[in-house]
Amino acid sequence: MHVRVGPRAQRQRLTAVIVLVGSLAVGCSGRACGYGFDVHWRGEPESTDSIRVSWTIDPSPPVAGRPIVARLTLRDADQKPVAGARLRLEGLMSHPGMAPVTAAVTDRGNGEYDAPLQFTMAGDWILLVTGELPDGMPFTQQIEINGVRPAS
Amino acid sequence: MNILRVPLLGAFLRWRHARPVLQSFLLLVSLAVVLHGLFGPQLAPRNLATVLTSIHWRGLLIVAIVAVGNLFCTACPMVLARDVSRRVFHPALRWPRWLRGKWLGLALLVAVLFSYELFDLWSRPRATALLVVAYFGLAIVIDTLFKGASFCKHLCPIGQFNFAASTMSPTELRIVDRETCRSCKTSDCIKGRPAEAGHHERGPAEAGHYVQRGCELGLFLPMKVGNLDCTMCLDCVHACPHDNIALATRTPGAELLERGRRSGIGRLPQRADLAALAVVFTFAALVSAFAMTGPAYAVEQRLAATIGARSEWAVLAIIFLVSVLVAPALLLTGASAFTRAFAETRGSLRGTILTYAYALIPIGLGIWVAHYGFHLLTGVLTIVPVVQSAVIDAFGRALLGDPLWGWVGLQPGAVFPIQLGCVLLGAAGSLAMVQAISQRDQPSRPVLAAAPWLVVVLMIATAALWILSQPMEMRAVSVLG
Repeated sequence: MHVRVGPRAQRQRLTAVIVLVGSLAVGCSGRACGYGFDVHWRGEPESTDSIRVSWTIDPSPPVAGRPIVARLTLRDADQKPVAGARLRLEGLMSHPGMAPVTAAVTDRGNGEYDAPLQFTMAGDWILLVTGELPDGMPFTQQIEINGVRPAS
Repeated sequence: MNILRVPLLGAFLRWRHARPVLQSFLLLVSLAVVLHGLFGPQLAPRNLATVLTSIHWRGLLIVAIVAVGNLFCTACPMVLARDVSRRVFHPALRWPRWLRGKWLGLALLVAVLFSYELFDLWSRPRATALLVVAYFGLAIVIDTLFKGASFCKHLCPIGQFNFAASTMSPTELRIVDRETCRSCKTSDCIKGRPAEAGHHERGPAEAGHYVQRGCELGLFLPMKVGNLDCTMCLDCVHACPHDNIALATRTPGAELLERGRRSGIGRLPQRADLAALAVVFTFAALVSAFAMTGPAYAVEQRLAATIGARSEWAVLAIIFLVSVLVAPALLLTGASAFTRAFAETRGSLRGTILTYAYALIPIGLGIWVAHYGFHLLTGVLTIVPVVQSAVIDAFGRALLGDPLWGWVGLQPGAVFPIQLGCVLLGAAGSLAMVQAISQRDQPSRPVLAAAPWLVVVLMIATAALWILSQPMEMRAVSVLG
């Protein structure tokens, strides 16, 4: 059956569609697409289950193309240092398609670990620390390094 | 050369199910993007949603347009989805006359580019997946309500981008023999081939009552010129009972110099919306490339401090407003005024802008290719480990082997000469087009008439080269905190 619809009704339907899509867009912007992190180069303790991780970058702020050291400190729930973990570190840019950097992680004792690396490009990086804890449990930690500066 | 006559390739394109096959492939890719984006790791370099859209899809889309034609629209999975939905829901409405043209699509194109920068979509797999879902939803809703290809023609921001870019493509669908069209009694290329022979009173392309639909975008092939509004769906090829339509090679950009009336479009110099599309296409290329450089963040911070803004959207809105509206308006108005003064033409200020605006498309395309080509070439191999990783996420086993995260692409420095070539080639195209327009419209003083527009093109090219030479700074968080 062919129903003839007047221009007024057409406009109302179209308005409904636009409102629906607009609502979806606004909803998306508020939740999944939110932004507003601070630029930081020193990490507050972050917890992955029973392990608390804090970290620093030296020198800070980091500069692309210059060597830096990422220093991680691992402590358990009782604040005791976690030594003897076997860790790997990868640096990824937040933008896909860029070359990652990898670093060997050295256990300095007392729950402290050093990873010398070099960011290849300015911008926002994510350090992905993976490995095994002394008790054999897998360990993963993601650290955001925002605002690596370009070499002047 | 008629590509439809090339062995194998031509046979495939003439096969009635060629498009659904291509669309089905992209539909599966879209499904993978959505599922991995929603449920996979929210780490942009390791998620299909962000890698495939930001690196491969954008790059391949623009490369395909330059090398062949509007292939993404040919294989658009959203059209397949809406075709399926139309088997259940038959559209009853016509797209409102007051909404016809490119203004709405243009606004959506700017909104998408703005959102991409504001929400840093390249770094947010879940948001990217939701955007894909929303895009599909909008296409299905619109084309379930409205007849023809209303979404493609009037709304789709990707489509509008592709239409503008494909004016520079080396191929176009056009008739082979004009006499054959003159003697044609059925006009199936636009009306479609009806189920019952001789039944043509339903008007253009109302799918569902036809064994083969005609052009849903209202392009009547005998009067069709160029690629504007052509999705290269090949419906006209399949519908023509005389086998009189070719996918022909041609001179890229030559269609922009045609002043005559063209089917479904009208006359280019009378279409302010299409001229605006050409201008936004060009200047948005600059903004999009600029947004990922170090100086862009410095500008954002300085602007925020000047106006006291604490959120990024206000600052970005000003940057977009100035870059794609105010600056182009001033530049083009100035160039038009100088052309009228130098060449002593009787054409109006607006008419001169509408005539010359299309000459900016080649340089705009050059900048888009340089930008998207950079990401494609530097990250082309990342698809391998990300797919391997997605398979592990999906099946729990390394069916394609352990991810080869070291596979990336060319070094950024190696790509710069290619970017340089793209911009210079685009600039040369725009300069040639300006010269051709001035010789056609102001034959007594072509050099003086062209001079202001040559300056505009050179300014855009210089800005593009400066931007591309800046250090990249891939930021995914607001610099304003």
